Order: sequence, then structure tokens, then C-alpha cells
Amino acid sequence: MILLLALAFSISAKDTPDDGGGSITVNVYNIPEGTARIELSRLEKGDMLYKEAGLIPIFKGECDDASVVDGIGYLYRGKAIAKDTFYIAEMEGFVTSSPQWFNKSRITVLIFLILFGSVVLTYIQLAKKNPEGLFIRKLPALDAIDEAVGRSTEMGKPVLFVPGLEGITDAGTLASLTILEMVGKKVAEYGSRVIHPNFDPIVMTTAQETLKTAFAEAGRPDAFNKDDVFYLTYEQFGFAAGVDGIMLRERPGAIFLQGYFYAESLILAETGYSIGAIQIAGTNATTQLPFFVAACDYVLLGEEMFAASAYISREPRLLGSIKGSDLAKVVLLFMIGAGVIFGTIAGIAKQGGNPTYMQIFNKMLEFLAKGAK
Amino acid sequence: MSISTSIWVWMAALLTLMVYSFLYKDNPFYRLAEHIFMGLSLGYTLTILWYNYIIPRVYEPLFLPPHQWSLIFPILLGIMTFGIFSKKYSWLIKYPLAFYVGGYAGLRIPLLLQSWIIRQVEASFLTPDKFTSLMSSINAILIFAGLFATLIYFYFSKKREHGFGAAAQVGIVFIMVAFGAAFGYTVMARISLLIGRMQFLIHDWLGIM
Amino acid sequence: MGFWQRFLQLDRKWIFLGIAIVVIIPLIKPIGLPIKPTKPVIDLFTYIDTLGPESGPVMVVTGFDPSTMPELMPMEQALLRHCLTKGIPVISFGGLYPAYIGMAKMAIDEVSADFPDKKYGEDYVFLGFIPGVSAVILSIGIDIATTFGNDYYGTPIDSLPMLRGVKNYSDISLVVDVSGTSTPEYWLMYAQERYGVNIGVACTAVSAPAYYAFLQSGQFVGMMGGMKGAAEYEELMARKGYPTGRRNATIGMDSQSLAHLLIILLIILGNAGYFIVRRGERRRGIIRRKR
Repeated sequence: MILLLALAFSISAKDTPDDGGGSITVNVYNIPEGTARIELSRLEKGDMLYKEAGLIPIFKGECDDASVVDGIGYLYRGKAIAKDTFYIAEMEGFVTSSPQWFNKSRITVLIFLILFGSVVLTYIQLAKKNPEGLFIRKLPALDAIDEAVGRSTEMGKPVLFVPGLEGITDAGTLASLTILEMVGKKVAEYGSRVIHPNFDPIVMTTAQETLKTAFAEAGRPDAFNKDDVFYLTYEQFGFAAGVDGIMLRERPGAIFLQGYFYAESLILAETGYSIGAIQIAGTNATTQLPFFVAACDYVLLGEEMFAASAYISREPRLLGSIKGSDLAKVVLLFMIGAGVIFGTIAGIAKQGGNPTYMQIFNKMLEFLAKGAK
Repeated sequence: MSISTSIWVWMAALLTLMVYSFLYKDNPFYRLAEHIFMGLSLGYTLTILWYNYIIPRVYEPLFLPPHQWSLIFPILLGIMTFGIFSKKYSWLIKYPLAFYVGGYAGLRIPLLLQSWIIRQVEASFLTPDKFTSLMSSINAILIFAGLFATLIYFYFSKKREHGFGAAAQVGIVFIMVAFGAAFGYTVMARISLLIGRMQFLIHDWLGIM
Repeated sequence: MGFWQRFLQLDRKWIFLGIAIVVIIPLIKPIGLPIKPTKPVIDLFTYIDTLGPESGPVMVVTGFDPSTMPELMPMEQALLRHCLTKGIPVISFGGLYPAYIGMAKMAIDEVSADFPDKKYGEDYVFLGFIPGVSAVILSIGIDIATTFGNDYYGTPIDSLPMLRGVKNYSDISLVVDVSGTSTPEYWLMYAQERYGVNIGVACTAVSAPAYYAFLQSGQFVGMMGGMKGAAEYEELMARKGYPTGRRNATIGMDSQSLAHLLIILLIILGNAGYFIVRRGERRRGIIRRKR
């Protein structure tokens, strides 16, 4: 073996930026052709011998040595081993690691979080002071609730309300319970009946309380039947089979499919269609929306469910969140629009021989793209 | 044609046919297959969890040297979640939930913001380099128009009137096209699963193809 | 009752029979319809094809159970075959949920049997199931050896030659999540955004539409969607002369195409029948309930 100190093959090291300390980033340059592996060794200040510190991946030429101690100086040596020879690269000065207080690569995330968070909190406070003062447009599906319950009562048939297959912590289930309250009030006013089969026992308990309150507020507490809100099964297709059975036996005039659904969504919607019921669906499961749109009369698409529940309940947190997210959408639209206009101007200017605007635009994109190293 | 002589292939084939018998009508064979599946999947999951998690990650670190006593706290939090099954002790679940929701939200929200919003906004900027060919130009304009119109559709703070209403109508067209594509993809997925089963029956069981 | 009215009331069992026929016949008597690879699959294939033995390993994550096996198993096998053919080190990760480890073992056993010259521990390793989902993904970004401890067979990670020098994501060239669920979103958030590792996706056709946005923004390097995606990857492998094994996805594409044609025909006939019957009813003065 011939030891060669190839001047081209070099090594450098620096404190890993934007981290919590204990890491030094080592780079090697001009890796000689035919290198099979690059061994990294490290000399601690005050020591006499280099110690093994791992391997540097050839395809990257860089690695993070995360076994260092903050404040201690280290010197690195890289050994590129080829078939019959090896090359050594050594550093001149010691380098130390240290933690940074602030991860600069996440600054865009911080700005967005502060911006959107403060907007939502502001609207929540405004909603607490004056809930009626915050405008949310009425969704067509909410008008259809009246029609659906009325039609069901005329035909002497019950209303079926299916709350989805998630637990009480899911946002869709919570929105579904708010819609259930509105449906429950209408059903109580018209003197009809609502059947509410459940996938989750905790949702069942909450739904019982919701409907009891709804019936009481409509002035018909005696009309509420606790047995109409019951637990079916925790098995997905068992639940679908059970609900299908209810649809075929009870033949409801109106069916509400509100909540988070999975693959059983089309099975439920199809069966409901086949018995001629009005179907009003709403889900935050975007993969199931196409099936509901195909088989149901009215559908609340994703965020419309939350807007509907905010509209019905006028609850400050729901209202504030919807208004805050609306403002966030406006901000994003303006950002995209401004980006498009400025990018076009920059592109035209660059073609005209002035690259300044394009450089500014690229810096803007870089700022947005700052994320993981 | 060389029919399989493996008892497991035969068992799988018969269970497949029992499940497919539901297409004609509900029957005891289908129910038997369904119940076998439910019991089997539960038993399999529990076994995997026991040997891959409870034993190496809970029992061994705690009771075999070197003892990792620091695991006691998270294990206790995990045990507290079982309080949900008791009306008297259901309040216990609040503590593990607090850690879980707090930690999970703190971890997830910035990364969600970065990957789902900021990176998507960055990719939506129409720049001259996106207009390299006719198809890429049409693509870029369609994506931009769809994004705008769909965001307007989901804007709830204004009545749908005049230009705003028209933009929302364009938005719903884009949404419906997307739903149609998703529906078509799902149909393709379901047919693929059928093809997979048929390949098993024809090739692995009957040895025809 | 007219033809169209009878057609609209057709018992669905006839449709099931029709689908069964168009699926089974091409499997017994293949037609050999051409397969044209699309950009998302080409991008994923090209990315892996540019790697080699000196590259960092490719991590193939198994994220499916038997219910989505027909779509995803051909993808996983094609990926493993591609990597082993090119000599790219492969880390086969048994998945984030317990049901996936069996699928991972099946895939690695079948593919490694076709590469007897490849040694376990030097050319490929098989890591078992670790519970925790997002915690596991984050933990791999810190230290693979600490996360897993041992491989699937109980061998300490430190003693596997292939994993010497592979500490975390910074030493990995690509993570491909072969998934029937929404786990690619977790890999995107916790691995790609947090640690900067490149991510490829091989997913079911149900999930594919949702991931096009991430493809367009460059967050995923490429994508295989559904059985067609798997067939396209197999086609690209065959065009390059790489061993493909039994091309299960390609074999299924004839049936897929005929089934789609039948469904399209039924949709057209169904809609035509609907409008014809409605027009006839209007002429006869029958008014249907307006929804």
C-alpha cells in the first residue's frame, strides 16, 4: 500500500447549524475515484490518538458526528480507501459544537403559526362578545334538513341518523353531534322519531344526552325514546350490515350520514338510495366524498360540516375557527396571486437582461422552502 | 391444469369462495368465513403485539438487567388509559390523553403546516419555467385556476353573489372532476383486488394459468 | 315493460357475473395489451436506477396487509428486485403496524430466493415491526440501531455489515413506503420535512389521487398508484432487461382494462336508459318527485 497525501482530497468540519448541540457536520471534497469507503477519525483536544468516528457515505460526502460533547475541540481526519491505496485528508483547526437557541430553518413555520394562530384567537374573542355579528353563509344542505324531516313525518316514517365510525375525539363526530341537535329539534317539533345506531359506546352516550336536550328544548321531553339511540357493533362491516338492516326494515324517509366514514360509506349510501329516502351526508373523510356525492341528495363536503355546525350552534370556538381559517385562505390566495404576478414580471425582466427581480423572487422561494436541512 | 395439493391453499380457496357466496345472498358459509376472519385477525394482532412489543419493550427492559426504571412512568400512563372502561375511574384517562394530545399536536402542527401548506403554496407559484411546453402550460394554468376556485368555494364568510358566486361555481366543477377521478381510481382498486383473488384461485389453486 | 326499463331494473347479480367473466377470461387467455409507463412511475424508477452499490441504502417500508396485497405486493417485489439487481443495499422494514410484518417477510423471502448471490446482512437486511408509528419514524432519524436494536431474526443491528455507517436518514438514499393506508403522509411529515430524506410512494389506487399534490410540489420523488402503477414499473424493469420474476401486475392488466370497459359501457347504457325512460314518462304525463 502506498500512502498518498492527495492535495485534492480535503476535509472540513463545522458545528451543525440549527440543532440542540452535540453534533459536528463533517464534509469531504474531491473524493478520489475508486474509493470504496471513507473512514472518519476524530482527535479530542488534549488527546494524543485519533479515535474511530464512523464512516462518511460516499454518495453524500457529508455526515453528522453526533457523539461529540459541547465545548470540547475536535480535529477530524478522513481516510479514503480505494483498491490498492488510500488517501488522507486532515483539518488544521479544532472545531467545537454548541446548541443554538433558535432553529432558523423553521422561521417560516413560526411566522405562519403566529399569524394564523392570532387570527383564530382574535375571531374567537370576537365571537364570544358578539356571536351574531360574525357572518357565515347558510349552506344549502341545512335548508334540506327541514325538507327531509318534514317529508319523513308526512310519510309517517322515522329519520335515521348515522354518526360515522370514529370516536368522540374526531372533529367530524363532534360536528355530527351538533347537526344531530338541529335534526333532533326538528324531529321533536314535527312529532316524528329519530333512530341513531352507534359504532362507538362513548358517542352513543353523548348522542343520547344531545337528543334528550334537543327534545327538551323543543318542548317535547316526553317524546324522547332512549332506546332509539343504541350501540350496534365495533366491527366496521358488521356496523354497515346492521345499519343496512335497519334501513330495509324501518324504511326511514330521511337518512343522515354525518361523521367520519371508511369503505362502508358506499354500502350505506346505496342501500339508502334503494329505499327511496332523502339522504343528507357530510364527512371529513375526503376519500369517501365521491361516493356520497354520487348516491346522496345533499352532501356537506369536508369543511362544510364544520361550517354547518358553527352556523347551527354559534359556539364561539367553532365560529372563530371558521372565520379565522377563512381569513387564512384569503391571505394564502393573495400570497399565491402576488407570487404569480411577481414571478411573471421577474421572468420577463430576466429575459430582457435584468436578473435582479428573478434573484429576489428566488430568495422569496428559498425563504418559503426553508424547512428540514 | 395442476390443482394444488397444499392444504393451506385449499383452505384459502374455500374461504375465498365462501366469502364470495355473499354476492348471491347472505348464507351460513359467508358468516362462518367472516367470523373466522374476525377471530383470526384479532388473535394474530395480539400475538404480534405480545411478542414484538410487550415482551421486548415492556417486560424485558423492566424486569431483566439492565433495568430501565424510567419506563415505569410511561407504562403507568398507558395503564391509566384502561380507566375508560370504568365509570368510576374514567377520569384517569385525562392524564395520558393530555400528554398524548399535547405532544402529538406540538410535533405534528408545525410539520403539517410546513408540508401541507407552505410547500404547497410554494409549488403553486406560476413561474416562466412551468411553461416549457404546451401540456405543462395547460397543466400549470389548470392547477392554478382550480386552486383559486376551490379555495373560493370553501370561503364561508361571504354570500355567493355575482363574480364570487361564479368563481365558486367554477370551484365546484373542479371539485366534481376530482371526485370523479377519485371514484374511478377506487373502482380500479376494487377490481384489482378481485383480480388478485382470481389470480390466486386460477393460478395458485387450480394451476390453470 | 320496455327494454330500457328492464335494463334499469337489471338484477345486480348479472353485473357481478359480467365482471367475473371479463376478469377470469383474460387471466386464462391473455390478450397482451400494451403498458405505457407514466411520469410518476418513470420518476420513481429513474431515481432508483441512478443509485448503485456505493449509494446509501434504499429503505422499502411495508405498509399493507393481505386486503391490499394484489395491488401492493407486486410493487414491493419489483422494488426489491430492482435494488438487488443494481446492487443497491436494501433495508426492508416490516412496517408500522403488526399486520404488515407477514407481508414483508413473504416479499423478501420470495425475492431473495431469486438472487442466491446476494447475502443477507451485506446486500439486504430485514427489520421487524416496531410499534409507535410516528415515534418510530422520528426515532429512525436519530439512530436506526437504537430504534430497532435487532433485526427481524434477532441479530444486533451493529453486527450487520451493511448497516455499519448507516446511522439515520442522512445515510439513506431513499425511503419508499409501500402503503395501503395514509402512512405516506407520516413519512412526508416526520421523515421528509423533518430530516430531509427523499420519499417515494407506492400506494393503492384509492390513495393515489390524494398524493398527486405532493408529487407536483416535488415532496415525493415518484409514485406507483394501484395495480397499473405496479405493471408500469414491471414494464420499465423488463425494458431495461432486469429480472422481473412473475409479472403479477402485468398479468392482471388485461382483466383490469376489460373490466373498466364493461363498467364504462354499463354507465353509458345506464345513463342513456335513465334519460330515455324519463323522457317517455314525461310524454305520458308522469311527474317524478323532485329532489
